[in-house]
Amino acid sequence: MLSFRSLIFFHALVACVLGSSDYAERLLLRPLPQSALLASFNFRSNESFTSFEQQNFRYFPRSLAQILQHAGTKELHLRFSLGRWDAESWGERPHNGAREGGTGVELWAWLDAENEQEAFSRWLTLTNTLSGLFCASLNFIDATKTIRPVMSFQPEGDHPNLSQLHLLHGTLPHEVVCTENLTPFLKLLPCKGKAGISSLLDGHKLFDASWQTMSIDVRPVCEASGECILEMEQTVDMVLDIDRSKRPRDNPIPRPLPIEEIECDTSKGYNAADTCYPLHGSAEPDFSLSQLFGRPIKGACPLTDSDGENANTVCINTPPERTVHANTTGPYVESRLVADTLRCYKLPTGADFDLSLPSQQMTTGLMLQPPSLFAARHINGHGQERGSIQTTIRNPTSSAVDFIYLESLPWFMKPYIHTLRARVSNSLENPITETFYKPAVDRHRGTHLELRMLIPASSTLTLTYDFEKAILRYTEYPPDANRGFDAAPAVIRLVSPGSADRKGVYIRTTSLLLPLPTPDFSMPYNVIILTSTVMALGFGNIFNLLVRRIVGADEVPGAGTGGIRGVIKGKVERLRALLGGVKKNT
Amino acid sequence: MALISSLLALRKDARILKLPPYLSALCIVVGVAWLLVLPLNEYSRNTYVSENALLPGQVHTYFTGSEHNVFRAYRHEVHALVNSPVAERNQRLGDILRSHNLKVATQRYEYHASGRNISNENVYAVLQGPRADATEAIVLIAAWKNMLDQDNMSGVALLLTLARYFKRWSLWSKDIIFLISGDSTSGPQAWVDAYHNSHDPAHVEHLAIKSGALQGAVALDYPAGPWGHRFEKLHVVYDGVNGQLPNLDLFNTAVNIANGQMGIACTLQRMWKHDDSYQDRMQTVFRGMISQGLGHATGPHSSFIPYHVDALTLQTVGDGWHDEMSLGRTVESLFRSLNNLLEHLHQSFFFYLLMGEKRFVSIGTYLPSAMIIAASFTITAIALWVQSGRPSTPPPNPASTSPPAKPSNEKEKVPMTVVKSGSSTAIIPTPLLTTTERPLFLPLTFLTLTHFLSLLPLYLFNNLPSRLLTPTFHLSLLLTSFLPLLTAYALSTTSRPTPRETTLIHCFAAMFLGMFLSALATLNFSLSILIGVAAAPMNFIRAISPSSSSSEWTKGTRRAVSAAQVLLMAVLNPLLLVKGATVWYGVDIGDILVGAAEGWHVWGLWTQVVVWLVWWPAWVAGGVVAATGLFV
Repeated sequence: MLSFRSLIFFHALVACVLGSSDYAERLLLRPLPQSALLASFNFRSNESFTSFEQQNFRYFPRSLAQILQHAGTKELHLRFSLGRWDAESWGERPHNGAREGGTGVELWAWLDAENEQEAFSRWLTLTNTLSGLFCASLNFIDATKTIRPVMSFQPEGDHPNLSQLHLLHGTLPHEVVCTENLTPFLKLLPCKGKAGISSLLDGHKLFDASWQTMSIDVRPVCEASGECILEMEQTVDMVLDIDRSKRPRDNPIPRPLPIEEIECDTSKGYNAADTCYPLHGSAEPDFSLSQLFGRPIKGACPLTDSDGENANTVCINTPPERTVHANTTGPYVESRLVADTLRCYKLPTGADFDLSLPSQQMTTGLMLQPPSLFAARHINGHGQERGSIQTTIRNPTSSAVDFIYLESLPWFMKPYIHTLRARVSNSLENPITETFYKPAVDRHRGTHLELRMLIPASSTLTLTYDFEKAILRYTEYPPDANRGFDAAPAVIRLVSPGSADRKGVYIRTTSLLLPLPTPDFSMPYNVIILTSTVMALGFGNIFNLLVRRIVGADEVPGAGTGGIRGVIKGKVERLRALLGGVKKNT
Repeated sequence: MALISSLLALRKDARILKLPPYLSALCIVVGVAWLLVLPLNEYSRNTYVSENALLPGQVHTYFTGSEHNVFRAYRHEVHALVNSPVAERNQRLGDILRSHNLKVATQRYEYHASGRNISNENVYAVLQGPRADATEAIVLIAAWKNMLDQDNMSGVALLLTLARYFKRWSLWSKDIIFLISGDSTSGPQAWVDAYHNSHDPAHVEHLAIKSGALQGAVALDYPAGPWGHRFEKLHVVYDGVNGQLPNLDLFNTAVNIANGQMGIACTLQRMWKHDDSYQDRMQTVFRGMISQGLGHATGPHSSFIPYHVDALTLQTVGDGWHDEMSLGRTVESLFRSLNNLLEHLHQSFFFYLLMGEKRFVSIGTYLPSAMIIAASFTITAIALWVQSGRPSTPPPNPASTSPPAKPSNEKEKVPMTVVKSGSSTAIIPTPLLTTTERPLFLPLTFLTLTHFLSLLPLYLFNNLPSRLLTPTFHLSLLLTSFLPLLTAYALSTTSRPTPRETTLIHCFAAMFLGMFLSALATLNFSLSILIGVAAAPMNFIRAISPSSSSSEWTKGTRRAVSAAQVLLMAVLNPLLLVKGATVWYGVDIGDILVGAAEGWHVWGLWTQVVVWLVWWPAWVAGGVVAATGLFV
């Protein structure tokens, strides 16, 4: 039997420790059930306001800073995400979900502008420039994909003139996050993936993860003395499947193991040389950083502090009995924190560093914090005309949860708000306490729906509404029209119990695939060909009849003479006729 | 102008009404002949994979080696569960799936049809694709019992082994759902209904776990016991409920992979021997049409197709040298192909007739045959409408400019009327000036009543308990055989329908049939053409009355012709045809009726609506029209 120790939560620790110096980075590893491993990379760079305004950058990347200045952006949050977090197996989300986005790309920012028009034009500037910087289709965030959330997002930074700031939010659920987004992301780091924990970030492994999210957060932080700094936090969170990631890159195929390597259940009556009921070993799998990420850490990033809390750049969160070996030629320091459940390492500079954990039969385990809410969203119904959305939110805790539910729907998905129903499994009360709804305008604006709801303890809330599918113009379909259209994930922000810091607690559902009525695209082609043929035949004949004068051969002067002589004669005749006509007129 | 006026004059020609029966006959002959030439090389095509993304058979398959040992163990496990209660069975199956780190859930369902209680439980597991974002999913199904009610032991064991094997791959861009349904028809229906939330919560449980939009489904039917059985061929079953078909690309991919990559021969429509001759092609088409026309569920895949989820069943047949691993590799390769899909299957045909695993005709080629047959009814209806508006003694051949063949005698002289308009005077045959009115009340009432009457058998056969179905069928057979005669007799004693009314009854019945069959042809071609051919003689029966028949006919001749017509219609009784077909195929009529009732309540089958509300009333009307001749 495993005995569980409660886990003291770690993100808060990371958050409060990092920040005092100008650059800090930390990698947190946490083995999860089902041979998964959460790897949480966190990088933080600070720049004082004065040097930011003088364009004097040290740790803050110049490329991004100039974009922010140009677009009047005071606070920025950018997310690239892939896959889904399996809350049932893995528990609470890293950073309480505050550093992750919905599938695809999500961007929200507070912009300094006089009015809404100016804010929107600055927003377009921001999305277009970021699009270039991150090699993502962020420029496709146009008015139809932009909303102005009312309750769901709160600024994380300190803004003296909050009333002048405009919050805009846009999503691209169909955007596939890939290595071309990782490279510019790494370039923003001071050590650029050459040293420090960022040297582990490799596109092959990152995008083979079961779930991964990259985020960039820029916010101003002001001390009580009035001194302000601009803080940029970059995080990469991923859940690796240990078995899958350990496979060497030159042989990634999961071939069946030789039968000798499979543990068979010999207690079965039918067990024989050719019959094997496989047992799943209860031992924790072995792994090392170089196996999982394809390479070891290339020493510490020299820009991090060499002592103090921030020097502990690699931490692993395991029960104390788990054996962890650090393999390096350089000097390193191991420190144990939080009742020995957290082991942190100060990396050597200029020497490779690797952690390896042997396979081990565990007697104790770490308790995973269960999430406050589970959320799932699906499209119901079938056919090309209408459907309905069903969101199921389950509260497993023993206290009521107050939360805000945000939906941003594309304009071609037209919800019927009168069909909006929210039911709680064990109560008749309407859980919706507040509603904000901004209806869609065809081709100009998407639907924006925010609901504040209260879900009682240990109950399930079901939210449903019907929608109609619009018929698009045929030029509005993307090249893969029959795939369907992606609808952005719903964002859920917990109001109470919320989080102690200003980041908030967020949950995002998965995105949806909306099949729209799609024409057979050979049809416009056929129509064009047919109409062109009809036009050519009909128009050609009528035009001929209208403009061509048909005369008898004998009526044409000089028609009898052929050859060059005839041609010349004809020309002369025509010239003479012309001159004659002129003479007559004058 | 001269041409137009002579054509207009033809409208009044008595001969013009002689033409439609020949036209109808021509339509029917052409329609049937059209169908018969389809198997020829000139009219059918070789199948081809239209969707480039599928790339069938382009991947290496690795489902071998120690997976075989695991498979054997799972087959023993499944065998041990054969006689266990449903809950215990699904608990064990769920445990095995859970041990692969999949998300497992169960779903109970309970249907009531013809007094039977169909209840069981589905167990399913979701493999969350490592590269998937929960927007799309593909389904692998193994029903616990196959269509023949055998235990699908190797099929379920293969599903369990494949679930373990698939979990290790990182390339899945769609979720994979592994579904072990309680039975082959109602279980998948309950599951797919609940997946789209179009189920009745009173009978079917909600699904606890869902994934994205379903992109395809493959069912396994391999009822080999714990010691295995090597098979010869794969029988690809593709018919959906109500004659809907999966995208031809899915079928082609399956055949291409099984045949080209794995070397397993494929067969379809129970054609165990198929040498690609004309006869075998035609027989395959015919069996496909019967199956499509009946519209029943032919396997666990059938329920998926109405939801626009392309699906098929791979069934192992015969004794050969292919083992479970070949089938497993086929499924692996098929799933790799489906995983490649970027868009929902849409490129290839949804309407087709297959005449072999590599030969088909598409809707553009075969549709005219059903349409032409449906048109024959419309032609008849138009002819009868024109006839019903004619005076009872039409002018003989007014457009003729040639002198009459025989010298006109006094008897045949047409009464003339002198018409004066202003200063001009004309002599016009009197019949041309009389207006003939069509009495619509009796025909419309009669047809409306017949159609409403047909609701009664529709209701009875869908709701009677199963033990009463066969007696009720035979009773209905007896009653309906005499219904037209009795109706005609009753009509003749009371209101005595005039020949014009009889013609109109016939006209509306044919019109309705023609309209409906041409619409049905686009949805369920086979049902339309089968009904069209069975009802074709309706074009040629006529109400025999003294005024309409040839004047030389005596009363006896008229009676004899009418009796022959009544006999013809009696033979074409829909119920008698169904009974005849069951005798021919050696099936029990009771099973068919129970299956139809289950189809009505569970799968949403519409065939009985077509039979009872369209075909049967038309047949009754035809029978009554034929029988009136007996009572004049």
